[in-house]
Amino acid sequence: MTTQTPILIIGAGFAGLGMAIRLKRQGRDDFIIIERAEDVGGTWRDNHYPGIACDVPSHLYSYSYLPNPDWTRVFSPGGEIQAYIRKCAEDEGILPHIRFGTDMLESRWDEAAKHWAVETSQGRFEARILITGTGHLADGHMPKIEGLDSFTGAVFHSANWDHSVDLTGKRIGVVGSGASAIQIVPEMQKLASDLVVFQRSAPYMIPRRDRAYTAGEMRLCQRDPAVIEEMRSEIFWSGEFNFAQRRNIPRFLQEAKTLAVGHLEANIHDPALRAKLTPDYEIGCKRLLISNGYYPAISAENTTLEASALTRVEGGTAYGTSGQGHDLDVLVFATGFEAVRPPFAARIFGADGVNLDAHWNKGMQAYDSIAVNGYPNLFIINGPNTGLGHNSVVYIIEAQVDYILGALAYIDDTGVEVIEARREAEDSYMDKLHARSQGTVWLAGGCKSWYVDERSGRLTLIWPDFAHSFRDENGSFHPEGYAMSPANIAAE
Amino acid sequence: MLDQLSYTTGEITVAGVAVRYRVAGPENGRAPLVLVHGTAGSIDGHYGYIFPMMAYRQRVIALDWSEPAGDSLELADLVAQVRAVIETTVPEGPITLAGYSLGAVVAAQTAAELGAKVANLILIAGWLKTDTHQLMRNHVWRGLRDQNSPSITEYMTFCAFSPAFTNLKTLDEMRAAANMLTMSAFVDKQMALNTRIDIAAACETITAKTLVIGGTYDMMVPKHHSKQLFGAIEDARYTEIPAGHAVVHERAAELFHHIDRFSAQPDAYPGGAIIPAQKP
Repeated sequence: MTTQTPILIIGAGFAGLGMAIRLKRQGRDDFIIIERAEDVGGTWRDNHYPGIACDVPSHLYSYSYLPNPDWTRVFSPGGEIQAYIRKCAEDEGILPHIRFGTDMLESRWDEAAKHWAVETSQGRFEARILITGTGHLADGHMPKIEGLDSFTGAVFHSANWDHSVDLTGKRIGVVGSGASAIQIVPEMQKLASDLVVFQRSAPYMIPRRDRAYTAGEMRLCQRDPAVIEEMRSEIFWSGEFNFAQRRNIPRFLQEAKTLAVGHLEANIHDPALRAKLTPDYEIGCKRLLISNGYYPAISAENTTLEASALTRVEGGTAYGTSGQGHDLDVLVFATGFEAVRPPFAARIFGADGVNLDAHWNKGMQAYDSIAVNGYPNLFIINGPNTGLGHNSVVYIIEAQVDYILGALAYIDDTGVEVIEARREAEDSYMDKLHARSQGTVWLAGGCKSWYVDERSGRLTLIWPDFAHSFRDENGSFHPEGYAMSPANIAAE
Repeated sequence: MLDQLSYTTGEITVAGVAVRYRVAGPENGRAPLVLVHGTAGSIDGHYGYIFPMMAYRQRVIALDWSEPAGDSLELADLVAQVRAVIETTVPEGPITLAGYSLGAVVAAQTAAELGAKVANLILIAGWLKTDTHQLMRNHVWRGLRDQNSPSITEYMTFCAFSPAFTNLKTLDEMRAAANMLTMSAFVDKQMALNTRIDIAAACETITAKTLVIGGTYDMMVPKHHSKQLFGAIEDARYTEIPAGHAVVHERAAELFHHIDRFSAQPDAYPGGAIIPAQKP
């Protein structure tokens, strides 16, 4: 069975839903979302590990046009974010447009028919316009660990938490010390008889200025939505301020470092442990983490910080590269996501039959961070150079949705059937971003991170500038960067 | 490896005193941006964020005021210093001239005098004519100064920051910030000059494309002053930042956004327009 639809959106997380809601609000019904899981929410549906929250304040980490007066905390728990996303989808009438349990297996551009042929686990779709909203944090990254199959205990990834495993009184190993791990570790420390944290590199961490909102504050947000707008503005622009740290301005880098080092020293008193927790790269090169609970959990009596990467497993024993073995009942991999080489890319085949992953063999790239030469009528939300190290990605998603709405309006107005980013436009856009990336802490900070593609050394995941500059530059459609056919009859 | 912003420094003599300036950033299609700080300020004190960040976008020039000889300070003394730096660093023009607080007054007067050479003008928390509200604040300040009161820097800090920003800090943090302010005979002269400003006639002659930026919660130079400038300058646009007078600290990134956009595309909004705040 083949389903025809003018617009097909892949994924029902913040990106895919954000696209759908805006289409719906324009009065359009000519779109379908395919979603591989059975619910909306994307990364907030998949990540339900103990302690999950977002590291961007909730009043900003939400759609600008769907403010939520009911956030219970400055940094609300993940479950609240998931409930918010679901409520947005329901309230905006998006659920009937979603085909759940529908995994995109292969998308091919059909040059003759001028549409995308999309094979899914639930049959074939054909769409003039294909929009991916698959996100950076969609597919958990599992490192290849020698002997992991021999592990006698339970093993799972943080993005696929196995709640059936009773962790109370167990010897638990957490692999990783990134954004997920630092939320998981304090929870595991409370449950475990012994906790071992495998840390490949120490993260920088600053205090988490979290608190619950009072009933009065929440009521005020309901009564006067302008209060939410003011909060969004304050959170956004103070986040933007911190771009100066990533831009590597010594004065602001030093301020951040003073805050982080002060946080470490206030919480960790043992000099040996403090040394292990001291990063060997510049602050901000990897994601700057916020936590009040991590350091106390690491210095608890039942916690061992294994300051080396997990390298092999033999039966019930997990070894760090230091050679130290640890006997464990449970291994939790908080090892991040396949962000640099997103799996969706290997499933999308362009005009010349090459898939995007192969096409991107030197790293992801896209014109205006949204369209790829050789892949007509495809828009990628949250793809190359859209990640932020200092602000809310929902803001970026909204800018990209605006761009796509502009493109769709242009297509409708002009009668164009096929639009494709021009190679030279894409290359010059990438050269501009590459030049802008030079000297930023992501490239010059002396770390290995998921922001940089190892094959090219280029910053492929991060937008190397202010978030507001992304909206200024990429928040509206630029027809001049595209080849169109039939020739744009409305062009002057 | 840190990315040390490289800038060159220069020094020129104006009316017998040395005036130091800095130049950074690439020359490109944008008019060089000249930054003028405000009362009790400096390049680092008022443009510690804007100077290095704008230098990633374009050529930026900034100067530190020097205390002229004599018992009093006149607007013309500061204008002469700014004009000398402009003549040295951008002899041909055109330039984008930006000033903050008293620096905005200096920049407006300079733009009136230089005519077309100042293609674009940015006035941040400036004013047209000193009013009673300002005189009252200045009078309290003068009293504290005459008593050599240790509260003077806390009073200045209290007036400078918006309540919302202040409330993100503790009292100790705000007092520590106040302690970084230093008083001097030169600051006294600037404060005295602040009581005598009237550039209304000059503003009527400004031809530059102008962006006036007011602070919604400015208690030192309340936003009605920025609106007066918006009215007085022919080709002016107006926008507001929800900050106190210390907008260069409170909302440095939002200020950057406005300066960057206006410097890149001064006519993105027509004269007379009120530019809406970006809603993130």
